[in-house]
Amino acid sequence: MIELKELTKQFKEIKAVDSLSFNVKKGEILGLLGENGAGKTTTLRLLATMLKPTSGTAIIDGCDLVKDSNLVRSKIGILFGGETGLYDRLTAYENIAYFGELNGMSKTEIKNRIDKLAKLLDMEEYINRRVGKFSKGMKQKVAIARSIVHNPEIMFLDEPTSGLDVSAVKVVHDFIIELKKEGKTIVFSSHSMKEVEKLCERVAIIHKGKLQVQDSLINLKEKYPENDLEEIFLKKVGGNNE
Amino acid sequence: MSKFSWIVFKKEIIDIFRDKKTIITSIILPIVIFPIIALAMGGGMKDSFDPSIPSPIAIVGGENELTEHINSIENLEIIDTDEPEKLLEELDVHAYLVIPENFDEMIENSEIQEIEVHYDPSSQKSGLAFSKIKDVIETMKIEKTKQKLDELNIDSKILDLVPVKPVEIEKDNGGIGMMMMSMILPMLIAIYAAVGGIPAAVDLGAGEKERQTLEPLLTTNASRNALIMGKYFAVVVAGILGTIASLLGFSLASIISPEFYGQAAGLPILNVLLMGVFALLICGVFSALELLVSFYARNFKEAQTYLTPFTFIVLIPAYFTMFLDGKLIPEIYIHIPILNTISILKELLIGVINIPHILMVFGWGVVYVAIALFLVNKMIHKEKVVFRN
Repeated sequence: MIELKELTKQFKEIKAVDSLSFNVKKGEILGLLGENGAGKTTTLRLLATMLKPTSGTAIIDGCDLVKDSNLVRSKIGILFGGETGLYDRLTAYENIAYFGELNGMSKTEIKNRIDKLAKLLDMEEYINRRVGKFSKGMKQKVAIARSIVHNPEIMFLDEPTSGLDVSAVKVVHDFIIELKKEGKTIVFSSHSMKEVEKLCERVAIIHKGKLQVQDSLINLKEKYPENDLEEIFLKKVGGNNE
Repeated sequence: MSKFSWIVFKKEIIDIFRDKKTIITSIILPIVIFPIIALAMGGGMKDSFDPSIPSPIAIVGGENELTEHINSIENLEIIDTDEPEKLLEELDVHAYLVIPENFDEMIENSEIQEIEVHYDPSSQKSGLAFSKIKDVIETMKIEKTKQKLDELNIDSKILDLVPVKPVEIEKDNGGIGMMMMSMILPMLIAIYAAVGGIPAAVDLGAGEKERQTLEPLLTTNASRNALIMGKYFAVVVAGILGTIASLLGFSLASIISPEFYGQAAGLPILNVLLMGVFALLICGVFSALELLVSFYARNFKEAQTYLTPFTFIVLIPAYFTMFLDGKLIPEIYIHIPILNTISILKELLIGVINIPHILMVFGWGVVYVAIALFLVNKMIHKEKVVFRN
């Protein structure tokens, strides 16, 4: 479903993403692991067409990231960071509908979809209220609904639980599990090993923009039976941490 | 406007109109500020310059014909005092006269006499009292001279052998009010059209970055050009609304204080429409530049800091042209940005329709808008700018 081919992004002298190649199968959740500054966000920004690669490319659901960026955008949804990024003066409905419209949906499609999402995420009570005074958990649900209003096949989630309280984290985790049930393909970046163990089948560990390892959690644990994921991660990253 | 630009435009307009801060600074404040200034200035001016309000004065010297004459004048009130100098210092009297003791006798004998009028030139009220006293003495002087000439059988017209008759080329040019309006209004239109969109631009550019709503926007089907154009038109609308609000405030102010602000009601509709077109052009240029700066800024605060000089950029040429005669615009001004728009507004305001000037300034305006839009569209594609934070 997603295949990175020598994907590279250079900012002046720094290679934030360095010839990254890995793949994500349809319907799986891939955990993208790395320390702060490892290149996780840049990788996801590249995949989400926000940044242009310096070299290399990725094939997303058959579309070339560089040549068909418009097509790629119609297939993806993003949820970046713990901060929800909503328009406070718009209602929850208006926030979600705005992104539905910008993704080319008709008014009827948007209404039906928001009704469904409001029910699913238990937002019916406050769907027509302005989001300015919402709690973090409520805002998180609106942000989630906004990211999937156009029902994308592929989701890029960049540390979606950072800075959230326990209940808001649960909302995000439940959402990811729900996406998995629907067969969506997800790339999920995090530096929380527990979160990755809970949600992902496979992981890709990157360090200083380079891929250190890509494998299933089961295989990794078989290879390193004496270690948990945290120790495996430190082993992979630590050796190159100069 | 493309489909996606329209979607962005609609959303931004809703957002702007729900923002109390923008509504207050861009619309309510311009509407109320000018009437408040007019009320304050009108009140002060009435108090200082209204000749019908009696001026308290004192007279040193005995009873005489001049004292009697002054007593009969309604807008001069004689205060009885032995310390006129002290009272003048405290402005309890606005002026005092020193009339010689044997004034009547001396006049009768045609002896030339001086009358001292003491006043405080730093006080407008004292200056007004001085003018009133001078008028009274002048009137009396003319009457007395005429009497003397009559007694000598000489025609009093001899006193005014070469009378001057002022003839104005326009019967009604609006006087000082029109002059004030041609000084203030072009400046006002230019400033509000240029900076009226700043609060909206800050929110629509840097605000998106600070709220972290820019990233999801960039991954929708809408192209970056469509996004920026939707936002651009929203900022233009905000700027135009700010300009209309300031003009509304100015109109209210000119109703409150017509003698000071003048009246634009007599302007031909073509001139008003052309003024609107030029205001739109200046708004079009500045909206694009403000959006450009706002997108460059990392956050709200930075955008506000960067955009503050925009007000001065307009203020400098605005002051430069403040005392410029609308009928004598130097040709070079027509080619200088901002200065040309203010100059053309001045021309239109005093009723001048100079076709070559209008076409040239319009042409320049279109060129500036095109350049500004090109820059803002170029900028939105720059990763260094969009992801600067």
